[in-house]
Amino acid sequence: MTARARRLLVFGLAAMAIWQAGEAAYIHAKAWLAQRLIASAWSRSLASGAAAKPWPWADTYPVARLDAPRQGQALMVLAGASGRTLAFGPGHVDGTPLPGDSGNAVVSGHRDTHFAFLRNLRSGDPLEVQTADGRMAHYVVSGIEVVRNSDVRVLLDAGDDRLTLVTCYPFDSPVPGGPLRYVVVATRTLSPALSRRGRGSAEV
Amino acid sequence: MTARALHSTNRGAREPSGASPNGSFLACVLEGLADSIVLPMALLTFVVVAFVSVAQADGNVAAANPTDADSESPGGQKSGSFLVRVRPSGKLVRSAALTTDVKIAVSGTVARAVVSQQFRNDSPDWVEGIYVFPLPENAAVDRLRMQVGERTIEGQIREREQAKAEYAAARDSGRRASLVEQERPNIFTSSVANLGPGETLVVEIEYQQTLRYEDQSVSLRFPTVVAPRYIPGTPSSEHTQGTGWAPDTDSVADASRITPSVVDAGEAPRNPVTIAVEIDAGFPVNDVVSRYHAIQVEKRDDSRYGVSLAVGPFPADRDFELVWHPIAGAVPRGSLFRETEDGETHVLLTLFPPVGAQATEKRLPREAIFVIDTSGSMQGASIEQAKRALHLALKQLGAGDRFNVIEFNSTTSKLFASPHEASDQNLDAARRFVDRLKATGGTEMAPALRAALESETKEGYLRQVVFMTDGSVGNEDELFRLIQEKLGRSRLFTVGIGSAPNSHFMSKAAELGRGTFTYIGDVAEVREKMGALFAKIEHPVLSDIVVEWPKSVAAEMYPKKLPDLYLGEPVILSARIEGLLAGKVVVRGQSAGEPWSTKFDLKYAHEGEGMGVLWARRKIESLTDSLQDGADKERIREDVVDIALKHHLVSRYTSLVAIDVTPARPDGEPLDSQALPVNLPRGWDHDAVFGSLPRTATPASLHLMLALLLATLALLTYALAGRKA
Repeated sequence: MTARARRLLVFGLAAMAIWQAGEAAYIHAKAWLAQRLIASAWSRSLASGAAAKPWPWADTYPVARLDAPRQGQALMVLAGASGRTLAFGPGHVDGTPLPGDSGNAVVSGHRDTHFAFLRNLRSGDPLEVQTADGRMAHYVVSGIEVVRNSDVRVLLDAGDDRLTLVTCYPFDSPVPGGPLRYVVVATRTLSPALSRRGRGSAEV
Repeated sequence: MTARALHSTNRGAREPSGASPNGSFLACVLEGLADSIVLPMALLTFVVVAFVSVAQADGNVAAANPTDADSESPGGQKSGSFLVRVRPSGKLVRSAALTTDVKIAVSGTVARAVVSQQFRNDSPDWVEGIYVFPLPENAAVDRLRMQVGERTIEGQIREREQAKAEYAAARDSGRRASLVEQERPNIFTSSVANLGPGETLVVEIEYQQTLRYEDQSVSLRFPTVVAPRYIPGTPSSEHTQGTGWAPDTDSVADASRITPSVVDAGEAPRNPVTIAVEIDAGFPVNDVVSRYHAIQVEKRDDSRYGVSLAVGPFPADRDFELVWHPIAGAVPRGSLFRETEDGETHVLLTLFPPVGAQATEKRLPREAIFVIDTSGSMQGASIEQAKRALHLALKQLGAGDRFNVIEFNSTTSKLFASPHEASDQNLDAARRFVDRLKATGGTEMAPALRAALESETKEGYLRQVVFMTDGSVGNEDELFRLIQEKLGRSRLFTVGIGSAPNSHFMSKAAELGRGTFTYIGDVAEVREKMGALFAKIEHPVLSDIVVEWPKSVAAEMYPKKLPDLYLGEPVILSARIEGLLAGKVVVRGQSAGEPWSTKFDLKYAHEGEGMGVLWARRKIESLTDSLQDGADKERIREDVVDIALKHHLVSRYTSLVAIDVTPARPDGEPLDSQALPVNLPRGWDHDAVFGSLPRTATPASLHLMLALLLATLALLTYALAGRKA
């Protein structure tokens, strides 16, 4: 092997490494930046009362703000849970009530970007939702489970008012597209939740 | 995690060895040091192979929950085998295997079938197997035999609760037992208890049915899989009764009993079926045709044929259908079969009304409402069939007709707010509407039915609702009530779409809707089947049909009230007869305002078998139907139980149970209860039905790992180059 070929190989490998790193960075950058733009669209839509698009060519719009005060997360929830939407933020699953409305509102998000914090949620943790008309709805995490992606029970109305957060599982798997989902169920409460964490409440 | 890791190791090892790192890997490394191009190449190959196998394993993890799969050892598990969670221990084991062998003997328009289900226990433990399976919607199941080695144990008919209790007692005491229960007229559950490790056990179920005989052809349809049903309603908090994937709800109280778990996407199909049919048509027949499976036909003589599968067993994932036509001119105008048993005589009468009488008629303008199911279960082949059928239906509309198109899944939407003229412009709008339809979401059928039946109707029009669906819902009774309440002047025609339509829904909805039903299981059938349906829709019906028996005969007849007959349909009735079977039976009715009648001489009766069972089955159906009209539930139950016990029939209130006398399972050995998984019907899209939880992972960390690896390789190559230089 000539030195020239070797040098080419080194450059080739390095270029591929940079390309792959770039892809990874792009995903995270997009996820981060989009949330900033969406947050500003949200303030506009709260002020005007009409759905505002985060950028002119967007095919989605924010439907709620989701706060996890204990985890220090504030996320804009988008309409629809298609792959394209989820790149920008957690998506509200069509066919379920909107977060803050009565019934079972289902929101899903990427396990490695916006919804990575779900692994830190514990039973008793508070979640807050701001709806498009400015109302606040309070939830408390009441259950966490791992289900197959075919387990549609998660999407069904359970007879109470709840917020169901869905993300992929396991959190650390390098390959996307697995069949398992991590499901956090939070039950509606009338007032901001009091902390029950630390009292040894059960989870999973 | 263990399950996943083991799985991927297995798969990795199965990759073609040329691409995978094998025993010479070390040697490779050494050589690579000498000429370093080999090393990066080998590593790269390794990386790619590793990712491919991990990705494959990811998509193939069996029905496992990783959080507690850790304790399991799925070692020895073959690729393609399905893991099921057993009760009560919650362990994961290889699912028992089920093969079905069906033998059907046809005599005229009556079929007698023996369905043998062979359960094979591939697990190292004692097993109870539970299998949810379909039968034709008019099957009269009257016999159960359990084969244990050389011995055969005959099943007994019992009230359902008692049968269940006897079965449970036998199961718990270690004796072999089997139980056959009816969940719907076309869904049954077969349970077998105390199947030892490596053992097989055969359950034979027999039924009798009348075949569909219309449009100059006889068809025999045998369903092989219970398609996933959409379950509306709110889950009830009570303990679920069954083993299915759906929880019981306030709308479908037995949802968990009719929703057997389905094998994963990409999993090899299970539950092989073999079918053999002996046909004695009773008249000369041109040919016997199978619609969906390759068959081998042996002609015995003009009217007798033997049919078997041409290429061995097929997976239980779609209906099997045979059709045969009488040779032109050889169609008998009617037939009468008689059976006398225990001093009781039962007859089955099939009678074709004269065809010529209705040849000329003026066409009344129609108001056609086309309803199309666009739920997730229709995704794939079904929605294409339905769209083609709908396009054809739109073409059929003439000037002066009015129409509308309604689509439904989780929600219902209409093309127009109310029916519009069938003008070119409106039809164009309809075509665009149909082309845009996509199949996704739930099957909320009630609002769609209501929209179709309740919308304003115009005087002077024939109001026809054409309903295209696979009928994959669990709340049939609720929908039947709705049809009965709201039908009014409308007529409801159901078009059963796809490879495994719900035959109970199709036939009963059409019956209550005073229409007729047809099936489309392939795009190639659309023209023929819809053509036949339009012919029916456009010809006047024979209505107000009454049957007059001779004075010497007292008959208890089912159906009690004969349905309207469409073009090509016969009068079919079962009766219990007292008195001398002589004289003529007269059938009268109205067609387009004109009276018509036809006669059949009772002396042409042939001896038949199982006429009593058919009569009892029709009577039970009639009794059960009266529940829709608000008949007293308890009284109907008692009547059904009486008649079912007398005729040895499985019904919603009676079951067959067979129990061995000697215990098989040693004391102290636990018993695992397994619900056997079923295939997804052919042409269905797994994700459209089940995969509704969104995909929620990015490949970011995959990219990052690759980046790191490539960077390492680059550095390594650079370092080696530097040293050599």
